[in-house]
Amino acid sequence: MAKTLELRSLLQKLIRAGIGKFRFLMATVGMGVAVLFILLAVQTFMNFNELLHGSNNENETADFLVINKQITGARQGKKELSAFSKAEIDSLQQQAFVQKLGLLTASNFGVNVSSYSDAIPFYSDAYFESVPDEFIDVQSESWKWEPGQKDLPVIIPTFFIDLYNTGMAMSQQNLPQLSLEALMVIPLKVKVHGNGGEAEMVGHIVGSSDRLNSILIPESFMQWANKTYGYARAPLNSRVVIKTNDPSDPKLVKYLEDRSWKTNTDKTRFSRIRVIVNWIVGIVGGIGLVMLLFGMLVFSLFIQLTIASSRNDIELLKTLGISPDLLRQFLMRQFMPVNGIVLVVVLAVLSALQWILHKVLATQQMFISPWLSPATIAATVLVLLFIWLTNRSTVKRYLKN
Amino acid sequence: MLLVFTVAMRFYFNIAIKFFMTITLSHIVPLPIAEKVLSRHSDVWNQEVNLQPGEWIKVKAPSGTGKTTLVHVLWQIRKDYKGQVLYASKPAQDILPEAMAQIRQEKLSVVFQDLRLFGQLTALENIELKRRMSPTPYYPAEKVQAMAEHLGVAHVLHQQAATCSYGEQQRIAIIRALMQPFEWLIMDEPFSHLDIANTAKAAALIAEECKKRNAGLLITDLDEDTHFPYTRYLNL
Repeated sequence: MAKTLELRSLLQKLIRAGIGKFRFLMATVGMGVAVLFILLAVQTFMNFNELLHGSNNENETADFLVINKQITGARQGKKELSAFSKAEIDSLQQQAFVQKLGLLTASNFGVNVSSYSDAIPFYSDAYFESVPDEFIDVQSESWKWEPGQKDLPVIIPTFFIDLYNTGMAMSQQNLPQLSLEALMVIPLKVKVHGNGGEAEMVGHIVGSSDRLNSILIPESFMQWANKTYGYARAPLNSRVVIKTNDPSDPKLVKYLEDRSWKTNTDKTRFSRIRVIVNWIVGIVGGIGLVMLLFGMLVFSLFIQLTIASSRNDIELLKTLGISPDLLRQFLMRQFMPVNGIVLVVVLAVLSALQWILHKVLATQQMFISPWLSPATIAATVLVLLFIWLTNRSTVKRYLKN
Repeated sequence: MLLVFTVAMRFYFNIAIKFFMTITLSHIVPLPIAEKVLSRHSDVWNQEVNLQPGEWIKVKAPSGTGKTTLVHVLWQIRKDYKGQVLYASKPAQDILPEAMAQIRQEKLSVVFQDLRLFGQLTALENIELKRRMSPTPYYPAEKVQAMAEHLGVAHVLHQQAATCSYGEQQRIAIIRALMQPFEWLIMDEPFSHLDIANTAKAAALIAEECKKRNAGLLITDLDEDTHFPYTRYLNL
């Protein structure tokens, strides 16, 4: 009995009765929905972002594109025309979608590769290319060459091995199938020649590359060999490799198309879908923004409604001489815990949704975090701050007049 | 800055409490009835009136001459008037809300004509709300029960105020006004719904409480009465 006659509980009874239970409930639910909209918009945006740009959703090779000029009738027979000029390379390097650019240098000398062993006899003319190490997806300690070194590390394209094992070896009775591990222990007789000189090296396959469809040797060897055995003219760069965030970036695709440059088309094919997805993201973002504005409106109305509906009682309390400071603190404590609970419930609902979405998308090989993004948490804090400020200014305004 | 000022104001009023408060009405003319009050003689409107501490004043007023307006102006819930109300020589308009709240808790008490109870609270809750408004209540809770019994409203203490009769509400409002310290008790037709016996009891209680506090009393009413030994009569 005595407790219910405390000033605080008397005020509580008064204000609660003034607002009305049903109206209070409706307004609380309304605000919950509004906050849900706001945070959902933020989280959805972050999820889209993660789906489109997250490292989990792209395979490793997708970051690298090898670009060359298309060999057309006009360019045929004029090797200079199919090489990239300095101006073209500089322009490409400055594009926003290019993070890093490396030049593939082709050998400017003759190469023969043959086998030391009779078990797998072969002989072939060949060529080499080199590229800065940072673009190579093979990790090997033996990937280095110094002048005077007899051993020559070589990286071959993975599709080469596949081609050999599934095509060549199958069609010839006397050719065994070879794993990469087996290939790595077979020494190769590599002869380089040109410019009146010749040298023999022992080639070792140190790995296979999914990224670069070329036979690669270390840059240091390429420089040495080009200088020693190369023909008079400077080596031409007919291919470049770029590192890009997003190989399906429509801007990249358009840039290449405008110049009739070619790249691994399967990696850029996604681009058309990306244009559509970009539109959808834009529309979702637009709706999110509308939801956000709507949400803000609803809950500022909520606060005004709850306070306005007990306006007469507040007026009478002031007339009777209640301390405005005390009343302000009391009113803030009336609304803020409810708002806090609403936020916690909304966060719980969103977390559950996010977790379910994570599970569902994972079955489709799309990966989003099972947790809410830090941006959503930050938005929650901002919303709380906004609610607090709106509450405070509304309470102050109603207490003033 | 505001805080320093508020603290300073509190300090000022704490000192002022030692000197009982004179209320000054300086040439007050309520704007909505300005023409009416200026057309006839009044002891209050458009006059310089000092209500001295401890005076028991009867303001007699025919209907429509602004009796309730005067109480509302004195209480500072109406500000649509010309002239000035001064509490202890300080313009009431300039008093900050926090300081005004303190005046209403310690120096002035009121019984409005329309009583102004919270209908959704019980009679007891209405009284307790006022009693506990000050951090250190003037009277203990038992005093409420004693006064209610004395005025014959103990049986409605736990009843919703809105369901009490006017007579009961009037006595509840009187008890509420007596639950706090005051230097002035302002009442607007406080016995309008009471019979002679209950009026006498209520008046006796009010007189006793005012004497106890050496407080001034200002009552507005339509007719003359002998409920209190008035020291001054004013015609509105």
